[in-house]
Amino acid sequence: MCRFNHAKVSVGRFFVHTSWIGCVLLSAGMLLTTGCDGKSDISGSSTAATGVNGTSLNPSSKPPVFSLAWSEYPSWSVFGVAAEQGLIDEAEGKLGDMEKKWNVDIVLKQTDYDTCIQFYGASQADAVCITNMDILGPANSRTAVAILPTSTSDGADACITVGIDDLDGLAGKATFGLERSVSQYAFERILTLKGKSPKDFPFQQMDPSLAATAMQTGDASVRSIMVWNPFVLQTLRTQKNAKLLFDSTAIPEEIIDMVVVAKDALDRPGGKMFAMAVLDTYYEMNRRLADPAKGNDTLIAIGAKFSNLGLDDMKLVVEQTKFYQNPEAALKLLESQKFQKETMPAVAQFCLEHGICEKNPTVSFDSLDAQLNFDLSYLKAIRAGATPSGN
Amino acid sequence: MIRRPIPRWLVATLSLVGFAILIGLYSWLSIRQTQKNPEQTILPSLSGFQAGFQKILKPQGSETSPKPAMLWSDLGATYLRLFLGMLVGVILSVMVGVAMGAYRYVEALLSPAISFLSKIPPTAMMPVYFVMVGTDQKMFTAMVALGIFFTMAQSVYQAARKDVSDDAINKAYTLGASDGEIILDVMFRQILPRILDNIRLQIGPAMVFLLAAEMLVGGQGMGYRIRMESRILNLSVVYIYLVILGTSGLLMEWALLNFRRKLFPWFGE
Repeated sequence: MCRFNHAKVSVGRFFVHTSWIGCVLLSAGMLLTTGCDGKSDISGSSTAATGVNGTSLNPSSKPPVFSLAWSEYPSWSVFGVAAEQGLIDEAEGKLGDMEKKWNVDIVLKQTDYDTCIQFYGASQADAVCITNMDILGPANSRTAVAILPTSTSDGADACITVGIDDLDGLAGKATFGLERSVSQYAFERILTLKGKSPKDFPFQQMDPSLAATAMQTGDASVRSIMVWNPFVLQTLRTQKNAKLLFDSTAIPEEIIDMVVVAKDALDRPGGKMFAMAVLDTYYEMNRRLADPAKGNDTLIAIGAKFSNLGLDDMKLVVEQTKFYQNPEAALKLLESQKFQKETMPAVAQFCLEHGICEKNPTVSFDSLDAQLNFDLSYLKAIRAGATPSGN
Repeated sequence: MIRRPIPRWLVATLSLVGFAILIGLYSWLSIRQTQKNPEQTILPSLSGFQAGFQKILKPQGSETSPKPAMLWSDLGATYLRLFLGMLVGVILSVMVGVAMGAYRYVEALLSPAISFLSKIPPTAMMPVYFVMVGTDQKMFTAMVALGIFFTMAQSVYQAARKDVSDDAINKAYTLGASDGEIILDVMFRQILPRILDNIRLQIGPAMVFLLAAEMLVGGQGMGYRIRMESRILNLSVVYIYLVILGTSGLLMEWALLNFRRKLFPWFGE
């Protein structure tokens, strides 16, 4: 259950129910449900405790359950398609091929991007698909381990305008998008690179899918939006007057799309198998995408999952979202001194200075004692061809 | 024995005990969560709430152009939107409802469509409204007005149709009243307390609708802040806002109820 919904429902009920007792009972109920959610986490780990910690597999015991929250985005919709193709069964208690192989039960939770972030922070999901700037905040309160960079945005985040032709025309006018997220980061970062002061360019909160819809339907008050794919391409295709003002090609390998697992989940029995299963699934899907026989079908499947975009547009989408197609590519990024010593610190610093993040976590690439850890061991294990029994 | 009366002091004490249980339960959950993870902000402790209060009460803007603190701008924005939206919605629905109650052809024309539309949950209509009314500031007014219009028009129509007897109307005609006088002085006057009651009952749905809209768009407002702060896991602010929403809801309810009792003692209850 999502805490967000509790809040919304209770707000309404506070007004509808008049009696004090009613109010009290309702609020107590709300708290109790919250409490129960917490408990189900614990019981989740206790069933996990009966499972196996990697070495000896007992097929009769129920595999431990781990959840992954994801939202529609090219390199994350891959998990949705993996579920369609039987690699993962998104439901609890049912196993796909990869889940059987690694003896874990992966539960996929699909929702909006910002709800994913909330799920992670509120311990409603063990792992989350998130960018390297948006994990900075949640990592402060829940220790995070980045196990897999899925892609980098190379044009997938863009500022689209209607009736505004250049940056000077944009100054003083509101740009709509998800405030305090990768969108605002990319917006202010690119403006800074272009020698402008972000202060002159107001950024206003609007749900990204609503912002895209508003621009597509010709809403006169929405002249500029900063969104990601599929919204970028959809808007450019649907709104003929739309102009691409700038996009994330200006900041290559700065926005990294990742899968992050909570350290508390990794430490549970079977946690490492879960991480391996996620990586194995992701690279299996990449092999299918690269396969000349299945590639287009897989791409169309992602496109259908992800939006109404057809094959040609999907080919463009994959170009704008550069997948790290194999462990070598992922390790090349994460092991590079540039990413470790320059990009990540600069991203964190920028987020702090621009109020995108209130507090920065400690970041580490070689140990697991920071608040945000990049753990390369799973990538290395997959590269070495690790199997469940040999782990 | 069922419904046996209990003394007033016991009623008061038990109400307080109810709240004490609520606070106790929260504290217990909060302490348990903090033991598990000292950095948690999901069920903040007292110091977490202090930080939350500081955040929402801190004046915004710069020295030269000060802006009110978050809490005040959010409260102001939300309740102004609520007021404007309710105002438009109430005026429209009273006009349409009374017209339906007064003239059979208006009734035949609008009543089936309105009772159909009033059965669609307003939040389900939101995507349609967004396309129709856009996403700027006017949108919130339109959203609230549309959100309450159909149900409210339906109730006003029922009141105008059923509460006002044919006898009363015929008497007024016999005394030489015009149509306009009957609508204003007979029908409207008689259903006014009913309208006030409906306004009170519609505040809840209007708030649900307004907060849902604010969660999607806008740079201020209770809904905006709740979504934003819950995304960055600053739940202390969220809880404070929920308490404020609950309290202000009770206050509005109480005020409207007393207003009606004072103004229309003949209406009863």
